[in-house]
Order: sequence, then structure tokens, then C-alpha cells
Amino acid sequence: MDKANDILIIDDDRDLVHSMRIILETKPYTIRTAHNGKEGYHRVEEKIPDLIILDVMMATDTEGFDLAYRLRNQERYRDIPILMLTSFTQKMVETGADKFQHIMGEEWPVNKFLEKPIDPDVLLKTVEELLRGE
Amino acid sequence: MNSAKELVTQQLFFRRELSERVGWLVGVRWVAVAAALISAWVLRLWRFDLPIAPVVGVVVAMTGYNLMFAIVVRRLRRITPDHQVPFQICAHAQILCDLAALAALIYLTGGFYSPLTLFVLFHIILAGILLDPIYAYLYACMGILGIGLLGYLQAVGALAPHTRLFEHAIYHVGHSPRENGVLFIILATAYLITAYLVTTVKLSLRAKGRTLLRFGKELDAANTKLTALYDMVKQMAFCADYQELMDSATQNTARIMGVKACSIKLLDEQRQTLRFASNYGLSQNYLAKGDIDISKSPINQRIIQGAFYTIGNIEEKDYFQYPENVRQEGFSSMICLPLKVEKRVLGVFCVYSQARFNFTDADVDFFALIAELTALAMQNLKSELNKSWFLQKAAHQLRSPLNAVDSMLKVLRKAYAGPLNDRQAEMLAQCERRIESLSLTIQDLLKLGIKRADTAPAELRQISLAPLLAQLSAVYQTQAKEKGVHLAISLESGLPAIMGEEKLLDDLYTNLLSNAIKYTPAGHQVQVTLAKEDPKRLCLQIADTGIGIPQDQLPRLFTEFFRAENAKAHTDQGTGLGLAIAKEAMDRLRGTLHIESREGEGTRVTCYFPIAA
Repeated sequence: MDKANDILIIDDDRDLVHSMRIILETKPYTIRTAHNGKEGYHRVEEKIPDLIILDVMMATDTEGFDLAYRLRNQERYRDIPILMLTSFTQKMVETGADKFQHIMGEEWPVNKFLEKPIDPDVLLKTVEELLRGE
Repeated sequence: MNSAKELVTQQLFFRRELSERVGWLVGVRWVAVAAALISAWVLRLWRFDLPIAPVVGVVVAMTGYNLMFAIVVRRLRRITPDHQVPFQICAHAQILCDLAALAALIYLTGGFYSPLTLFVLFHIILAGILLDPIYAYLYACMGILGIGLLGYLQAVGALAPHTRLFEHAIYHVGHSPRENGVLFIILATAYLITAYLVTTVKLSLRAKGRTLLRFGKELDAANTKLTALYDMVKQMAFCADYQELMDSATQNTARIMGVKACSIKLLDEQRQTLRFASNYGLSQNYLAKGDIDISKSPINQRIIQGAFYTIGNIEEKDYFQYPENVRQEGFSSMICLPLKVEKRVLGVFCVYSQARFNFTDADVDFFALIAELTALAMQNLKSELNKSWFLQKAAHQLRSPLNAVDSMLKVLRKAYAGPLNDRQAEMLAQCERRIESLSLTIQDLLKLGIKRADTAPAELRQISLAPLLAQLSAVYQTQAKEKGVHLAISLESGLPAIMGEEKLLDDLYTNLLSNAIKYTPAGHQVQVTLAKEDPKRLCLQIADTGIGIPQDQLPRLFTEFFRAENAKAHTDQGTGLGLAIAKEAMDRLRGTLHIESREGEGTRVTCYFPIAA
């Protein structure tokens, strides 16, 4: 890798963002942060990141999904990998998918879910995988 | 109900009756044949002068034609079971044959004076039962004419019937014309009165039959409607979404009521506008008129106050804020009712029909029932959704900070923020465990609240209980030591595995053990034992010598948020959820849980786990 990967973290929990920053900065990544969907979108417009780490529930229950769909619907931003953070278990998200589906459309707009609380090792591993395009 | 269709079913019902009776007549005739033979034989025995050969001849003739009729009836039933005319002809033919046979018997037993002249009555009755009323009179007149003719011919000597049978009875030869006339009039009157009585009774019976038939149809229709309503309610009960529920209600209601369209309008918070929330069969154009301002719609105003509205002919009334739209849609009559639960009005429920005066009082009542059930289903779902929304929100709010703390602890412990010594790392690990256990409790609270009704069974797998319990006990050893409670844990080794699920076992054990320690004062002890109870079960016992539970409060132990009086006095800590969660976990583990306790002496909780097969 020639240049540092640019990772954008969007979460309204500043402590959690701080923790993730500490974890990710142990590797050669450039970290940018945002604390709501709107701010996150501006950061993406400023510069397309290599990866977005996005929280599901911010001010509204679906703010994270709203942003993810907004990005997926635009040609320029469609291919940015998104890692979605959730305090649901993966299973709950999957079984509860139909509750979101009629608002959201057919496909999940994210590449991977990561459950909170965040385990540093798992976060690093997942981020590396997504950056490698897995 | 279509009246032409109703008439057809009704006619069918009475035709079937005719075909049955015609067959029945054949059966009755066999009895008559037998009776005639026996009577002839008895009369001979008693030395009456009866011309036996001709009588037997008549009986043979009766047997013959009855056989024929039996075959004909059977064939008619097979070929044209629902056609009336062939059976009517068959009935006429039978009566005529019978009258002919009777005439012969009358002639052989005294002619005009034969007591068998009374038997003509039977045939009048049969004609009355089987055929239209006019035929009862026709056959009565035939009988009168026949008897009159016989009497006349006998009197002038043109016919000489066999008269010696009742030589010494009332009827014997030699009555004066005056007496003969009286006899004739009596017979004729009897025939006519019989015809009158039988036809009157039959007509009234037939009218009753029709009423019954109509009632039957009405009951049938009501049953169909109620069944459809039952299905509708069942469908609504499974709806998890508010819109889905209302759409199901409008669609089903339009179908059940047999109308073109149905709508649900909901009242806004300020109770000033009605918004179309769901509709079936209304055009986009109609819906485009948008929300209804209640102050401009007298009809909706009244409905919201609780009135029922049935409009037979929309053209005549001036009720609507948008009368043009109603006309364009082609509606002529409608029913509008408030959707309400007890006194709270949720909105307005309407059905629209293109036919004028389409709705009867019964329809209005039935629609009111549908509206009531729909409102209940809506209310029910809404409170479910509210509850579940609240719990999810509450759980999220509680878990968010915990997740943040937990994540930060992990960052620290895994030395991402700088190196730690072993003691620090161990303490951080303990913090993480405690945080995790708290987080799981919150999750359980959520589960207890929302998923109580969840019928999906837990996914159990083979688990070795002793190591798991040992691991879970570690935190509590410290806790007990700090409190000065002696915690003795005796877990038998080499026990067979049970079917379980780690988190459920954790819920169960940690709740029971923490309770035991919490309610046991310093210097007392808590004893945990795990052993094999019998070949099928393991037994886990957590016994303490603590404060115990008052006898009268034992039954309420598993009630959420319940805490016994002495428990509250003992410590402020405790939400009263622990045992409810433990019980829920035990139920899902398909084991059993018993609690024995004596106030001031201690508590013993016994859990039985089925051993994995």
C-alpha cells in the first residue's frame, strides 16, 4: 500500500468514535470522523473515503441506513465499502430485516455489519478485509 | 338473497317432498293389499257371505298395479328426480287406480250401502296431500258422483251388487228414497269437508315450510358472513403493521359486505381533520380530494360524536363537503360508523354501494360489529407497537453507553492505548465481564418484555454444566468473600452433558446465585451443589441460610418487579426482575425450577435439567 487508506467514521457516540480512532491509528490509516448523517455526507463529498464505518441508529433509528442508501444511489459513491455498526446482534438485524425492507428497498446497502461493543482485533481484521475488497 | 334463486330452491324442496310421498303411497298400498286379504279371510271365517273369488281378483289387480307403480316411481326418481309433472301424473294414476279398485270392492260388499264408501275419504286425503288443493275437491266430487250414480242404478234395478254381506246391519236393501237421499247427502258432505280440512291444513303447513326454508337460508347466509368475519379477525390478529392491518380490514369488509368500496379515515391528534388511511375500491380521483375538514363536514362531525349514518340515496342528501366526488364515483348508498374503542374515536369507517337503499338494518348492525372488532384490533396492535418501540428505545439508550464503555475497556485491555501490567489487565477484564453481564441483563429485560410471547423454542445444544458453572461462579466468589458470606460450591465432575444454551444457563445461574448472596447476611453460608438426580436429570441446588421468604409471598416470586417485603428491608439493590428472568430462562431450557423457603431460616432453589440423550 503506497498511501494511507482514508477511513471515515460516522457515529454520534463521540467516545466510541474516539476509541475506534485509537484502534485504527495503530495502523497506517488516515481517520476522519463525523457525528451525524449530514455531516458524514459532507465529508464524503469533500473527499471520497476508502471505507466508511457507519452507525445505524443516530438521531433517528434509521439515520445510518438513510445515508447508506443515499450513497448507494449515486454513481460516484456507490462503490465505497460500508461497515455498519449496530448494537443489535447480526441475527436480530437479519430476522428483523423485513421491518426495514419496505422503507429501504430490496438490498442491504452495506458490505458488512459489526456488532457493538467493538472488539479492537475484530475491527482491525474486518477493516483490513474490506479494504482488500473482500 | 336473489329472489328468483330462492324460489327455485324452494320449489326444489317441495318437489322432493312430492317424489318422496309418491313412493310412500306405494308402500302404504302394500299394507292395504295385505289388509284386504286378511279382512276377506276373517269375514269368511266368521261366515259372512262374501264373494271370495272376485275380491281376490281385485286384490291381485291391486298387487299388479302397485308393482308397476313401484317400478315407475323408482325409475322416475332416477331419471327426473327434480321434475314435478311426472310425479304428479303418477300420483293421479295411483289414486285413480285405487278408486277403481275401491269401486269394485264397494260393488262386491253392498254397493251404495257398503260401509267401504267411507274409504273414499282416504283417497281425498291422499289427493289433498300429494296434489294441488283443487284435486282434493275434484276427487271428492268424483266420489260423490260415483256413489250417487251407484245408488241411482241400484234403486232402479239396473245394477244388482252383492248385497247379502250386511243383511242385518244398518245398511240393507229396501231403504226408502228419502232415507237413501239422507245417506247420500251425509256421504257427500263428509267427502267435501274432508277435502276442505285436508287442503287447509296442507296449505298452512306449506306456508310454514316456506318460512322455515327462508329462515334456514337466512341462517346460512348469516353463518357465511360470520365465518368470513372470523377469518378477517384472525387475519388482523396476525398483522404486525398498522397499515397492513387497516388494508386487510377495508378489503375484507368490502368483500364480506358485498359492496364496491370501503374506507378507513383516521382522526388527527387535534381531532379536526380526517385523513384517508386505507381504502379499497375508491378511485385516485376520489382520494385526491385530500383530508376532510371536520368543521365543513356535518356528517363526519356527527359520526365522530358517535352517530351511525346510513344513507339510502345519496342524491337526496346534502351531507358532503365534496358531493361532486361522491356522485362521480357512482355511489348511491353508504354506511358510515365511528371506529371507536370504548369512548375513544379513532376515525371513521365507511362502506359504499352503487345500489340505492342497499343496506338493511341487519347490514348496519353487522357492519357495526365489524367496525368494533377492527377498532379493537387497531388499538391492540398500536399498544403492542408502542410497547415494543418503547422497550427497544429504552434498551438502546441503556446499551449505548455500556457499549461505548465496553469498547473503551477493550481498547485499554488489549493495550491499544499503551502497555498495561498484568494486574491492570486482569482488573480491566473483570470490568469487561461485569459490563457484559449488565449489558446482557438489559438485553434480557428487552427479551422479557417483547419476546415473552415468542413461541420459537431456544436452540439447545449439548453442554457440560459443571465447567460452565465454575466459570460463572468466579465473580461471585469475590463478591461473597467481600460480604463475609461463605460460598461453598460443589460441582460433581464427570457428569453427563445436558441440553442447554450458554446464555440461558448464565441468566438462570447468575440470577439465582446473586440472589442467594444478596439475601444472606455475613457469617451465613450459600451452598451450591450439582449432582445427578436420576438417569434422566441433573440437579442443581442453591441453598442459603439467609433471610428467607415469607410464606404468603412465595406465590408472587416470579412476578416481574415483585420483591418480598423483607427483601426490600434487607437491601435497596434489586429490580425484582431476577427471578422472572431465571424462570423464563428455565422454561426455555425445558427444565424445572422449585423454590422452598422459610422466613428467617433460608431459601433452597432446586433446578432440574434433562440430560442430553
